[in-house]
Amino acid sequence: MTFIDVTGLKRHFMMGDTLVRALDGVDLSVEEGEFLCLMGPSGSGKSTLLNMLGGLDTPDEGTVIVDGQEISALDANGLAVYRQKKVGFIFQSFNLITSMTAIQNVEFPMIFSGVAPDQRRARAARLLTALGLGDRMDHKPTELSGGQQQRVAIARGLVNQPVIMFCDEPTGNLDSKTGMEILDMLAGLNQNGQTLVVVTHDPRVADYATRTVQMLDGLIVSDNGNGHKQ
Amino acid sequence: MSLRDLLGLVLLNLNRMRSRVVMTAMGVVVGTAAIVVLISLASGLQASTVESFEDFGSLNQITVFSSARMGGDSSAEGLTADALDDLASIDGVVAITPYESLNGGSLSYNRLSGFASIYGIDPDVIENMDFVMTEGDDNIGNYTVIVGSDVGSRFSEDGDSGGGGGFGPMMMMGGQDDSTDTEDAIDLMGKTITLELTRRDDDGDEETHKVRLRVGGVIESSGGQEDYNLYMSIDDVEDLTAWKNGERPDWEDEGYSQAIVIAEQDAEITLEVTDEIENRGYFAMSTTSIVEALNSTFMIIEAVLGGVASIALFVAAIGIANTMIMSVLERTREVGLMKAVGATNRDVLSVFLTEAAFIGLIGGVVGIILGIVGAQIIDVFAASYLASSGSDITSVVVTPLWLPIGAMIFSVLIGLGAGIYPAFRAVQLDPVMALKYE
Ligand SMILES: Nc1ncnc2c1ncn2[C@@H]1O[C@H](COP(=O)(O)OP(=O)(O)OP(=O)(O)O)[C@@H](O)[C@H]1O
Ligand SMILES: [Mg+2]
Repeated sequence: MTFIDVTGLKRHFMMGDTLVRALDGVDLSVEEGEFLCLMGPSGSGKSTLLNMLGGLDTPDEGTVIVDGQEISALDANGLAVYRQKKVGFIFQSFNLITSMTAIQNVEFPMIFSGVAPDQRRARAARLLTALGLGDRMDHKPTELSGGQQQRVAIARGLVNQPVIMFCDEPTGNLDSKTGMEILDMLAGLNQNGQTLVVVTHDPRVADYATRTVQMLDGLIVSDNGNGHKQ
Repeated sequence: MSLRDLLGLVLLNLNRMRSRVVMTAMGVVVGTAAIVVLISLASGLQASTVESFEDFGSLNQITVFSSARMGGDSSAEGLTADALDDLASIDGVVAITPYESLNGGSLSYNRLSGFASIYGIDPDVIENMDFVMTEGDDNIGNYTVIVGSDVGSRFSEDGDSGGGGGFGPMMMMGGQDDSTDTEDAIDLMGKTITLELTRRDDDGDEETHKVRLRVGGVIESSGGQEDYNLYMSIDDVEDLTAWKNGERPDWEDEGYSQAIVIAEQDAEITLEVTDEIENRGYFAMSTTSIVEALNSTFMIIEAVLGGVASIALFVAAIGIANTMIMSVLERTREVGLMKAVGATNRDVLSVFLTEAAFIGLIGGVVGIILGIVGAQIIDVFAASYLASSGSDITSVVVTPLWLPIGAMIFSVLIGLGAGIYPAFRAVQLDPVMALKYE
């Protein structure tokens, strides 16, 4: 069964008097275990699509089905639970809470999913150690490098064991070497079975990805994978 | 989201903006401290006032006047013997006695002249009046009388009894004229004093009538007007009035001027009986009903003071709302992140509401402590001032337990209320926009 199934997805915005067709009828299928790289020029609708898949935004038209659940039909609470249980996000600008230490940031999502404190701490510590931050757990984000911050963010994204991870330009704020490290890390996750959708301008990502989809003006214009609906 | 995690997160957030929290809470501190101080003072005043009233007369005695005599409904029945029987049948009434004053008499003992307010009461009811005797017993009748504790101090050489004879049956508040020299007070117990009445005969000549009264008991001081009273049998008063007026009064059929109803020893019952007597067309007054009226007056005063002090709290609420709106704005990205990692709208609402409530709580606790300390300081100064001016009031401040508890709940509610709008603003943030917010 198709893991992600997007049909006729539309999302329009009014910018003053002009209608912006951020998504103008997108069809897309993603299989479990894929590392999908979503590329395209600025303004082509990549982030909008990703937000729609991640349940941060709701479509004007069309349906989004993830893991058998119709996301596009959920109410605010249903979406919150969907994000909590099934989704991990990684952002370009890390979005760590600056007043919290690395481990507190990683624990943060588990506060809302109701994991017990000691279990929470153990799981966060294990993930940070696995991502090479075992000695940085009690550092605040400002005391960490960009790459380290993004690794904390990855740990945070993984902590509720999501069925899918959405990354919006995860290397966008990093130098190329650090970006490579992060990409290696994501590729490693994918090899362990993690399904990933990564929005990027970084052509190197395509080398790691199992499939690359190109967008333009709110439409998918090329897809080198098998899941693309003809 | 568990309560423990909620509190942990809230404390972390408040700690992060602690200087602003402190300044915002200051408004709540001022408001709650003002509430505690003002209401403590009002309660203190209430307690000492009520206490001084309760010193007067027994709480279960109700003085009844006939309406007609009080200038009221003249069709109402007077306090006739039948009326007294009727009143005696009210539930909760233990006994009833007519209460008739004898005017225009002067007292003397040896060569000393004295004065007392003379009342006639039913000798059979006197035991229900709960007079506490310092000497003798409370039997009256056949010109055996009992006197209040200060009657003996009213006797002096030339008839200037040092206070005038203007005693009415009404109670007066506050200290009596204490200038009477108690060293000269005569212990009247067992003594025979002379009561002299005068009248004019048909020719206009003055006639006098002397009766000898034996003092069978002295009543313990109550600090009130009754200390100057002299009680004799209603029959004796009737005989003396008959001589004075030249004809026998027909009180039993025409009505006594006053009666005293003794109710069961219970404030509620006394109030109910008072109401019932008034329903039957009489004026009724008891210390209990005065105390009741005082208490409700003080309740209004306390409510007004509390309301005035609450204005400070409402201003503080605006401060809390302002701080929280700023905080939501500054933490827009964080709210977006919370939502992205699976916080429900309820979680977001809880976090911001609890933060606001906590600011109220912190301000409330500090304000209550400051208020109690402040009230105590005022009390120390007031007590030493009162002591130096000879008052026996030792405390002007009473802080009832409900006050700090109520003030605390109130300040938390103020915080909660102030947090509602900012919290809903946080809830309504669109996560996509919030995550992009700079
Ligand atoms: N909230 C919004 N209001 C108005 N227009 C929007 C909004 N969000 C996105 N758009 C518009 O929709 C279009 C697609 O935006 P989107 O962010 O998806 O592009 P993108 O492909 O992610 O671009 P980039 O590579 O620069 O991040 C753009 O023209 C953008 O201006
Ligand atoms: Mg984008």
